[in-house]
Amino acid sequence: MAIAPIEHLLRALYIAKKDAKAYYFKAPNLTYALLMPISLFLAFSIAGPIDPKSITPGLTSLVVLFGTTSIEAVAVVLEKQTGTFERLLVAPVSLSTILLGKILAGLLFGSALGIAIFVPLALALGIAITSLPMALLAIALSSLSSSALGVLASAHAKWVPEAQMLANFLRFPMTFLSGAFIPLELMPPQLQFIARLLPLTYSVEALRISSGGPMTMTTFLLDMVALALYSLAFLTIAGYALKKKIE
Amino acid sequence: MDGAIEAINLTKYYGKILAVDNISFEVERGEVFGFLGPNGAGKTTAIRLLTGQMKPSSGSAIVAGFDMTREPIKAKRLIGVVPEVSNLYDELSAWDNLIFAAQLYGVPRGARGMRAKELLEFIGLYDRREDRVGNLSKGMRRRLTIAAALIHEPSILFLDEPTSGLDVESARAIRGLIRELNGRGTTVFLTTHYIEEADHLCDRIAIIDRGRIVAKDKPEGLKSRVEGRTAFDISFGPRGGPVDGLAALDHVKEVSKLGEVFRVYVGDVTGFLQALADFARGNGLEITSINTVKPSLEDAFVRITGLSPEVMRVEKEPARRGDVGYSSH
Repeated sequence: MAIAPIEHLLRALYIAKKDAKAYYFKAPNLTYALLMPISLFLAFSIAGPIDPKSITPGLTSLVVLFGTTSIEAVAVVLEKQTGTFERLLVAPVSLSTILLGKILAGLLFGSALGIAIFVPLALALGIAITSLPMALLAIALSSLSSSALGVLASAHAKWVPEAQMLANFLRFPMTFLSGAFIPLELMPPQLQFIARLLPLTYSVEALRISSGGPMTMTTFLLDMVALALYSLAFLTIAGYALKKKIE
Repeated sequence: MDGAIEAINLTKYYGKILAVDNISFEVERGEVFGFLGPNGAGKTTAIRLLTGQMKPSSGSAIVAGFDMTREPIKAKRLIGVVPEVSNLYDELSAWDNLIFAAQLYGVPRGARGMRAKELLEFIGLYDRREDRVGNLSKGMRRRLTIAAALIHEPSILFLDEPTSGLDVESARAIRGLIRELNGRGTTVFLTTHYIEEADHLCDRIAIIDRGRIVAKDKPEGLKSRVEGRTAFDISFGPRGGPVDGLAALDHVKEVSKLGEVFRVYVGDVTGFLQALADFARGNGLEITSINTVKPSLEDAFVRITGLSPEVMRVEKEPARRGDVGYSSH
């Protein structure tokens, strides 16, 4: 009488749908997702000397990062605070199914945000999108890794501000070191090395490639693999932390 | 195993703190079994161990025939859990909460709406189905939490402090629901710190104190442990002299005054009644009523645990934010 894998996937989707209905697409979440990246974009492109075209991939990656990590902090920590996480734990679903549901919702939310920023900006600024499927894949995997990062931060937090603080601890260095606004090649080698440790770097790079950037398909594929591996690693650590708390 | 629940040497440590200390018991199918104990006795930890929300440090829990550590998902399909704090999604409507619960428990798509409707009617909230749960009263939320736990028609229902913090009317409604469910064949495991609730609802009670089961029996069985100390409630009419001499009568062990009524604990009943009649006649007193007082479950609880009944009246502090679901016990 074991539950079939498809049934697990379905239940993960129900959790994702419930999350979207209960928490996502609410004004405060959207504002937080957009406010910081757009402020930085305006600061660098209008007040600074940088061409807005060149930082559109960076802005998109940041919106995805801020949007999904913020929402995951709410969707996991708030559930722990209000006791609804207990509801999920007593149900016949595994912790992996619960986490899958959480990141599926983040994946869809992040992708919707990313597309909503990237496509209009590309059209408005006349950016040549080399391959739309590549851009969409880059946005999707960026959303996945950012969701997993949000889950990781919230797995260790007891309340929402703590999760946000942990997320900020990871987000802010990434904002400036991932090549979102300052190209990697202009950074000293030590910072370039640090940048290579940050998932956002691969997200920005992949979006650059898919919108007329100079690098190759191989680099794009490596970026995708890196984002997938980061997602897996973040989720594994988050799952382990949550499991420890339950035990 | 024919029983619904079996705990075998269940033990749980939080770090160095022993929350549940080697408890063993069985719950038969169709029974209402209660864990009675003061706050902090380990009741919630025990229920979390039995429902697979945490793993025991040692020992095991067999629920609906499945080992909760080895086959938790199979066991969880057959149980419903109502936590102490109603844990529904405030942002969703009553209806959406039930449908989500149905999806989570694998209720077939075609049956979800029908089950949700039946349950909302059963708990008297069908008219409020479109309301956000955050807008419902505490008592309504508790009823809805019970409904959500019943959506997959579980054979065993766990309730942690089902009436704690509710007003009298809501608590009565919840107790009525529990009785009705049990009448339909659902096995009920509940925890409570209300002695009267345990007395009126449970077929059998385990008294838990500091993580250990100190007694386990039917309510009448527990009460019989303090028998042998018969008491009478006696009222005298307005005529006659003082009744101060009551305590000095033969066979009287203790006298206390409850308003106009004297509660007299006696040894030999026949001897006392004769002495009482002589005492009343001699002092020109009129006995207007005399009732035998049976030992209450509270008397038994006090005798067994050595705790004051006041301890049981202390309500739990609101759960600390961030701890819910993990470490409060």
